[in-house]
Amino acid sequence: MKANDTTANQFDAEALKELRPENQLGKTALVLAAVCVAAWFSNIVNGAPLLDALPGMLILYVMVIIGLVIGRVCPFYLPSVAWVSLVSIIATLPVFPGSDWIIARLAEVNFLAVVTPVLAYAGLALTGREFAMFKQTGWKLVLVALLVFTGTFIGSAFVAHLIL
Amino acid sequence: MDLKLLLDWRLHLMVIVTSMFSEWIGIVRIPLGPGTLLLLPLLYAFVIGVLFNPHLFSGMGKIIPKPVSHAAGPIILIAILPFIAKFGSTIGPAIEQIIAAGPALILQELGNLGTMLLALPFAVLVLKMGREAVGATYSIAREPNIAIISDRYGLRSPEGIGIMGVYVVGTMFGTLYFALMAGYIASLDILDIRALAMACGVGSGSMVAACSAALAEAVPGSRDELLAFAGASNLLTYATGLYISLFIALPITEWLYKRLKGNAPKEVRHES
Repeated sequence: MKANDTTANQFDAEALKELRPENQLGKTALVLAAVCVAAWFSNIVNGAPLLDALPGMLILYVMVIIGLVIGRVCPFYLPSVAWVSLVSIIATLPVFPGSDWIIARLAEVNFLAVVTPVLAYAGLALTGREFAMFKQTGWKLVLVALLVFTGTFIGSAFVAHLIL
Repeated sequence: MDLKLLLDWRLHLMVIVTSMFSEWIGIVRIPLGPGTLLLLPLLYAFVIGVLFNPHLFSGMGKIIPKPVSHAAGPIILIAILPFIAKFGSTIGPAIEQIIAAGPALILQELGNLGTMLLALPFAVLVLKMGREAVGATYSIAREPNIAIISDRYGLRSPEGIGIMGVYVVGTMFGTLYFALMAGYIASLDILDIRALAMACGVGSGSMVAACSAALAEAVPGSRDELLAFAGASNLLTYATGLYISLFIALPITEWLYKRLKGNAPKEVRHES
């Protein structure tokens, strides 16, 4: 994915590359450990006590690392999220050895509790540029954006509803 | 990015405290007309995060300095990965149901073209927007879509400004909007709940998370099935989304834009 004028683009190819977690596995492994700890604590309230959730969190950690390594060595590009997802699907297929045990351990990790810290990071990460752009582009683009989200959701739901 | 900043203890401790507090508040249901709005912990976490963002209130720089806030950007992409793994684990056990729903899953990808059908006419005819509308409405403006626009028009073009605007709105409010909208539409009980779950898979980790979590809360009985469908649909979008938006969505948007503008000579853009 090449950008034509890298110097002019603030959101340039280099920044995108920097953002891809599979390109710096060492760093990613450490940061991943930190965010897993955050999710682990977030899980206490509505999920399970720390010790009960530990195996599940470790399984998630290992799945992510495996997914990233595949994304790194794979000759064609798929987002790392797609690889992580595939690893996790395969490990929980009924035919996969030990899948029952994996599913039971993962059940200790609350689905919502893992997302909550992500949004906390997102709120803290918004840049001055994003706040400024938001003020500048203003209400028109907000309105259009909400219609875009509504359109894609209703569109997909409608097609699926007709076929199901 | 400097590893010291990425592992800054203030940032992660702040996130842990914020998350635990948000989880403690829990899910709040607000009846609204014929449906119900669901407020999820992730919403409170985001709002608290924004309130402590040093770029919004410079006084917060004492707690989270600006460089640390910058470091949080790339962390989001990593933080979503354990969740994606948890998500995938709902698909594996439900693989038979998913294969049975295969045709619906694949064809609903085309429903993503609904972005422009609703938003483009509104942007062009009501808001009188120019070429920004093409970039803004051809997709839901996540990273792969930005790459396409950047490649074809450049990001400082009107199309680029359009998509970046929607991208920023999506980053700031997309997750929250999807949670509210999905929960609300589910509570209206018009469309098949499984169809709504598939529609959640729009190719953004946090959006699908919020969307499917809201559905699962709205219809707790079929929680696992819904998560599995949303996850499968999202995975499919990762695989096909780039190609659908490049080869189908963008050409159709261009065509529709020309029709809506009535082939008139290019008017002066009024977007400042």
